[in-house]
Amino acid sequence: MIGREKSIEIVKKVLSMSGADQTEALLMGGESYLTGFANNYIHRNVGEKNYTLSVRVVMGKRIGSSSVDDFSDEAIKKVIQDAMLIAENQQENPDFVSLAKPEKAEDKEFFIKDTAECSPDFRAEYVNKILKATKAKGLTGSGKFETNAMEIAIANSLGVERYTKLTTSTLKSVVLSDTSSGYSMSSSIDVNKIPVDDILKESIEIAEMGKNPTSIEPGKYEVILTPYALAELISHLNYLALNARAMKEGTSFLIGQIGKKVVGENVTMYDDGLSSETIPLPFDFEGVSKRKVVFFEKGIAKNVVYDTLTAYKEGKESTGHSLPQPNPYSPYPMNVIMEGGKSSKEEMISNVKRGLYVQRFWYTNPMDPRRAIITGMTRDGLFLIENGKITRPVKNMRFTESVINVLNNIIELSKDKKIVYDMSSITVPYARIKEFTFTSKTEF
Amino acid sequence: MREIVESALLAAKRAGASYADVRIVQREEESISTKNGAADAIRHSESKGFGVRVIANGGWGFSSSFITTPEEAEKVANEAVQIALASSKTKIADAKIAKVEIYQDKVPQPVKINPFDVPLSKKIAILLEADKIMNIQGIIVRKGSMNFSKEWKTFASSEGAYIEQERIVSGAGISAVATDGKEIQVRSYPTSFGGDFQRKGFELIEEMDLVSHAEETAKQAVALLSAKQCPSGKMDIILKGPQLALQVHESMGHPAELDRVLGEEASFAGTSFLTPEKLGTFRYGSDIVNITADATIPEALGGFAYDDEGVKAKRIYLVKNGIFVGYLNSRETSAKLNLEPMGAMRAENWNRMPIIRMTSINLEPGDKTLDELIEGVDYGILMDINKSWSIDQNRLNFQFGAEMGWEIKNGKIQGIVKNPSYTGITYEFWRSCDGIANKDFWHVWGVPNCGKGEPEQVMQVSHGVAPARFRNVQVGVLK
Repeated sequence: MIGREKSIEIVKKVLSMSGADQTEALLMGGESYLTGFANNYIHRNVGEKNYTLSVRVVMGKRIGSSSVDDFSDEAIKKVIQDAMLIAENQQENPDFVSLAKPEKAEDKEFFIKDTAECSPDFRAEYVNKILKATKAKGLTGSGKFETNAMEIAIANSLGVERYTKLTTSTLKSVVLSDTSSGYSMSSSIDVNKIPVDDILKESIEIAEMGKNPTSIEPGKYEVILTPYALAELISHLNYLALNARAMKEGTSFLIGQIGKKVVGENVTMYDDGLSSETIPLPFDFEGVSKRKVVFFEKGIAKNVVYDTLTAYKEGKESTGHSLPQPNPYSPYPMNVIMEGGKSSKEEMISNVKRGLYVQRFWYTNPMDPRRAIITGMTRDGLFLIENGKITRPVKNMRFTESVINVLNNIIELSKDKKIVYDMSSITVPYARIKEFTFTSKTEF
Repeated sequence: MREIVESALLAAKRAGASYADVRIVQREEESISTKNGAADAIRHSESKGFGVRVIANGGWGFSSSFITTPEEAEKVANEAVQIALASSKTKIADAKIAKVEIYQDKVPQPVKINPFDVPLSKKIAILLEADKIMNIQGIIVRKGSMNFSKEWKTFASSEGAYIEQERIVSGAGISAVATDGKEIQVRSYPTSFGGDFQRKGFELIEEMDLVSHAEETAKQAVALLSAKQCPSGKMDIILKGPQLALQVHESMGHPAELDRVLGEEASFAGTSFLTPEKLGTFRYGSDIVNITADATIPEALGGFAYDDEGVKAKRIYLVKNGIFVGYLNSRETSAKLNLEPMGAMRAENWNRMPIIRMTSINLEPGDKTLDELIEGVDYGILMDINKSWSIDQNRLNFQFGAEMGWEIKNGKIQGIVKNPSYTGITYEFWRSCDGIANKDFWHVWGVPNCGKGEPEQVMQVSHGVAPARFRNVQVGVLK
C-alpha cells in the first residue's frame, strides 16, 4: 500500500503542475487476491498489485481526462498534457458547472489489517474446509475466496482533499451434484467475520435438497425470493431508475412520480454508504461524502442519487454518488439497503399454500427499461412449496417480470438481511411475493 | 523487456516452478463519447504491467504488478510460486499442459491510418455531426462513441517461447433513444452497445460512415413508438447480422468453451450442455449449420497471431454439417481430453491469468440471398440488432430481444413491429435453421465486451455471420 502521506503527495503534485482552470486528481489502487476453486481443488489462484492515477482538467466548460499508472514527474507532466489536449479539442459541456466543492468532513477508513495481509495459505485453508465437506457428501465444490485492500486519494484545485483505505473479502460456494447445485456467499470488510461454516452449510443443503428435480409448467407463482434473488432484481433499478441520469435520459419509472406512491407500503429503500449494514464507502470518486438518499419511504418515491454534474446543473448538492469520471453510468447507488420486516424465513415458507422458493437468479437483463421488465433464469436452487412446506426440487425456469410489480406485490419481508456484494452492495431481506411470472423452462 | 522476462523466469525456476510464463502488456486507449450535442466523456489512458503464471508442485499460481522493473519481476515471480504452492495443498492431480510447438516471433499489425495520429477534433466532429442529424422530434437521447486501442504484448515461457505482438483496434457506433413519455425505443448503427469493432485503423471509422446513417437511425427509433407490438406465437424468424452474431456468441461460442464443459467456471459463468460424450456425435443444428472458430481472419476482432499460451492461431470446426465436432480449449484442458491445443487462451490485460475465450466464432455462409430467405416465409418476423439477452448457465434456454422487427407475410416484408423477442432451446433452435445467406451478406461483427471468469475479464471476440432463417420459433413474451 502507498499510504495516506504519499498518496496525497502524488495527487497534490498533479494539482501543482496543472495550469487548467480546475483540476482533479484521483489515485486509486491496491492489492487484490482471488483463490478460485472448481472440481474440488484450487484451479485458479491469482494476485494483482495495480494503481491508476486519473487526471481531469477543466478549461471553461471543456473537460479532458487522462490516466496513467506511473507517478514519476515526467509521467504526471504527460498525463496532464494529454488531458489538456483533450480539453482543448473538446466541445463545451453545457451541463458542467464545477468540480466538487470542498466540505468539512472526516476521512473515515474501513480497513482491516488481517484482510489486507491475508496469505494464500489462509485462503487455501478456508477453501479446503469447504472442499472437505463437499467431498465427504460426494458433491463437487466450486467458488471463490477473494481478499482486497484498496486506497483512494482525491484532490481538486477547489480544495477537496480526501483519502481512505478499504478492505473487502468475499467467500462464495457453489456446490454441484449430478442433478443440482447450491449457492451461498458472504462479504465483509473483515476476513475473520466471513462465516465459512454457514456458507458451506447453506450451499451443501441446497445442493442436496435440489437433487433429481422435475419440471413444472411456467406461469404465475407466489414466490419466496432469497436476498440473493431479490438483490439481483434490484440491481437493475440502480442504473435504470434510481439516479439523476436515468431521470434525464427517460429510462426511470420515477419520472414525474416523486412524492407519489409507486411501490408497496412495506417498501422502504435507501442508499447509505456509512451504514453498518453495507460494505462501506465514506466518499465518492469526486471526494464528496456519502449522503443517505431515500428512494422509497413506505412506498412513496422520495429521491434519486446525484454526482456533481447532475446536481450542480439543477442547483442541488451532490449526494456523493459519482463513479470515477468521466463515466456513462454515473451517478450510481453503491450501498442500497432495504428495510426488513418482522417474519423469519421459516414463517414465510409456512405461509405459502403453493409457490416457489427461489435461491438465486442468473443472467438477468432488461426487456423494457421504462417498465423495469427483466428476464432471467433461476439457478442453484428452485423448490416447490406446498401447504407451507418445501416439498420437492423443480427444474430451472425463465422469468419475465417487472421489478416495479415485484415491489408492489410484497406480502412479507424477513427480519434477517444479507449483504450481497459485487463491486457495490445491496442489502435486502427475504421477500414473499404474491405473484411472479415464469415464462419458459429449461432441461435441468 | 528482456530483463523483466529473464528476471521473472529465473526467479520462478529458483523458487521451484516446473513451468513459468511471463506476459508484459503496454496499452494506450482513447475513448470518446458524445451525448445530445456535446462531448460527454473523452478519456485517454496508458498502462503497462506484467503477470507471471507458474506451475509449482502441481498447482497453478499467478501474480502481477504495474511496476515494470527486474526487481519487481523477481518479487512477483516468487509470489506466484507461493500462491501455486498454496493451490497444490488441494490438488487431486498435478496440473499438466499439452506439448505445443515453441515459437519466437515478432508480429506487428499494419493499419492504413493509425487512429492515434488522427486529431481528436476530427473524431469529435464526426460524432457531433451524426448527433446533430439525429436531433429530430421525439428523440430524447442521442449518443455516439469511438474507441481506439494500441497494444504491444510480449509473451515468454520457460519452454523458450518469446513472442511479441502488436494489436490495434478501432470501433464506433451511434444510437438514438425515442420516447413519447410512456415508453422508450432505441435504434443503433451499425449495431448496439458501442457499435462495430475490428483490428483496423481509423479507416474502419471512415468505412462505417456514421453521418450518412444518422437520419435513418433516429427516424426508425421514433417510428418504433407508434409501430404495432410484435405478435406472439410460434412462427418463422430471420435474424440479420448483429442479432445472429449474438445468437452464435451465446448459444455456440460459450457452450464450446472446454473450461466451462469441465466445470471450471461452475462458480460464475456456469457449465455447458456440450459435454464430452457429445463430441463428434451430437446433432447441434441442421445439416447446413457449419460453425468455425477462426483466429486467423485478417482484421477480425477475435483474431490474433498467437494466444496467451504462445499457441499459433488456428481455424477449426466447432460444428460441421450440423454435428458438434470441436471445442475451444487450452493447453491444460486439451491435455485432459487428449485433444490438440487450438489456441483460445487469452487474458484481458497483464493483471489477469489467461482463460479460454472465443476467437472469431462464425456461422459459415450458405447459398441464399436475403430476398430468397424472406420469400420462403409465409408468416414470420425479420429481426435486427440485439437489445436484450439472457441464457441459462448450461446455455440451453435463451431469450433474446431485438431493437426492431419487420413482419413478413406471404414472402414479402410488411410494416415494422416493436419489441420483437424470441425464445427457445439452443439445439432445437439451430436444428430449425433451413436457410443461410451467402458470402456476399457475410460480415464479421466485433464484440468488445464478452465477460467471463473470476476475477472477471472482458474480452474482444467476433462473429462472422450472414442472415439466417429459423422455422417455427416461439416469438414474443411481453404482454
